[in-house]
Amino acid sequence: MQGSSRRTGTMTDVHRRFLQLLMTHGVLEEWEVKRLQKHCYKVHDSNAPVEKLEDFIHNINSVLESLYIEIKKGVSEDDGRPIYALVNLATTAVSKMASDFAENELDLFRKALELIIDSETGFASSTNILNVVDQLKGKKMRKKEAEQVLQKFVQNKWLIEKEGEFTLHTRAILEMEQHIRETYPDAVKICNICHGLLIQGQSCETCGIRMHLPCVAKYFQSNSEPRCPNCNDYWPHEIPEVFDPEKETGAALSKPNRKSLRPRPH
Amino acid sequence: MPRGQKSKLRAREKRRQARQAQAKTQTQGLEGAQATAAEKGEFSFSAHLFLEGNPLNEVATEVLSTSQEIPSSTSANIGADSGTDSNEGASKQDEESSKALESFRKDPLNKKVVLLVQFMLKKYQSKEPITKADMLKLVIKKYKLHFNEILRRASEHMELAFGIDVKEVDPTRHSYALVSKLDLTLDGMTNEENLPKTGLLMIVLGVIFMKGNCAPEEAIWEVMNMMGVYADKKHLIYGEPKKVITEDLVQLRYLEYRQVPGSDPPRYELLWGPRAHAETSKMRVLEFLAKIYDTVPSAFPVWYEEALRDEEERALARAAARARIAMTAHSRGMAISSSHNK
Repeated sequence: MQGSSRRTGTMTDVHRRFLQLLMTHGVLEEWEVKRLQKHCYKVHDSNAPVEKLEDFIHNINSVLESLYIEIKKGVSEDDGRPIYALVNLATTAVSKMASDFAENELDLFRKALELIIDSETGFASSTNILNVVDQLKGKKMRKKEAEQVLQKFVQNKWLIEKEGEFTLHTRAILEMEQHIRETYPDAVKICNICHGLLIQGQSCETCGIRMHLPCVAKYFQSNSEPRCPNCNDYWPHEIPEVFDPEKETGAALSKPNRKSLRPRPH
Repeated sequence: MPRGQKSKLRAREKRRQARQAQAKTQTQGLEGAQATAAEKGEFSFSAHLFLEGNPLNEVATEVLSTSQEIPSSTSANIGADSGTDSNEGASKQDEESSKALESFRKDPLNKKVVLLVQFMLKKYQSKEPITKADMLKLVIKKYKLHFNEILRRASEHMELAFGIDVKEVDPTRHSYALVSKLDLTLDGMTNEENLPKTGLLMIVLGVIFMKGNCAPEEAIWEVMNMMGVYADKKHLIYGEPKKVITEDLVQLRYLEYRQVPGSDPPRYELLWGPRAHAETSKMRVLEFLAKIYDTVPSAFPVWYEEALRDEEERALARAAARARIAMTAHSRGMAISSSHNK
């Protein structure tokens, strides 16, 4: 079983179930993905050794490649937690959103997206978003309605809300990055380290380069005197911690799977 | 939903633009689909939202026409680097498979197959059935004659990669439903919101079946009330039962909810929706009911007989549809390959 699964293009019901469930959920965190993988093995083939996640996903992606679909791994901008989503590469993000929302709702999203991209912090205040409600295409939308639509976006993991402000969910970034970079080439911000699209991050006050928070965390890890990689000036912001999956998810996972963990203080 | 003036004008403009663009480029597939899709509600939102600067069209057609690697971004592209493969045999197979991929992508029909698969996945997630008319209009377009072949290839991909069956639900109206081959009820992890509805749905389907395949709404509530589910009371598990039964499940096409003709004051009745017919059967519903009453389907002889007849009809319809598709695909395949060889 091990040998044949390394060859590209071998999918079993284990992979198919995984794919269907991932599709249903839309986006999952890494620990959920691992749990999902184990679950799929259990349902179909409890004796088979669980393939390494990277290989497992690579296997699936090689079959999906010809369909321009991919399981993409991304990293959340605020705390660096890895997430996975099934992404449609040919027609980009639109296809997923277009069928769930009405014309004026999509236009609201687009307006919010523009405000987020243009903002300094990567967040657009709900007030600013609601102010453009009367400019929307399609059926007229009241502000009260718009508030609910924004909540719908949050529930469907297109936007994240923090204290009345909205930014893009990691899933939206994964799905729409290419499109955003094409559509707003002048307005988009790019991370100096990974060169990916940047919505939230830290910036150097001297030369203006920007970095994702998880990129900052990795770059300055155990560096007592962080300096800007571009202009060498002292980096003025608090350096976040590198995301540690053990810390977060040890509590979330059920105990039988985690016998190997160190005993935790209660 | 009726479309406003502005939306229609925009759509017309898009179509005109797309037609002009079509004349220029060879890879017309995607643009054409997007443009005519503007006629139909679904994709038009994408047209408005993202086609205005036209970059999407170019990006998309570029992606589909060349075998370029998708540029990587913040996301660590798992699977993009096959260099991590330490197995020599695997790297040779990688070569072969990338050659196969290239030839797959060059075949113009396969571009349509890709679009159709993505269209189907969308419909699968929204749990709507698909009609041949929809597929032709939104995806296949000028490859109309190759519909059966494109459908066959797309169905194969759906089956192989996703374990989803494309079943012809209505041979006369050419509508298809997408059903998972895998029994998803085994997954405790399925979307928690949908699970309670399934139980409720089975009961409603059962009542409808027992009332001769069409049940007055009052009959449904009679049974529901016995279970402690009321139309006007919020339920701990089912939420708002009236909304679930008369709106949500209807929207998802599991049920049909209509006014009893000529009733005044209006009374309503419920029937099985097309998706219920596609995804389950009278026998399965009867089995479900039998379980509730802690007995077996044959304990209800009249319904059992009807369920048996239904199973037979379904089997015949499935075999006929398969034969039809296989035959036409085969003959089309012969025609295509012979014309390509010239």
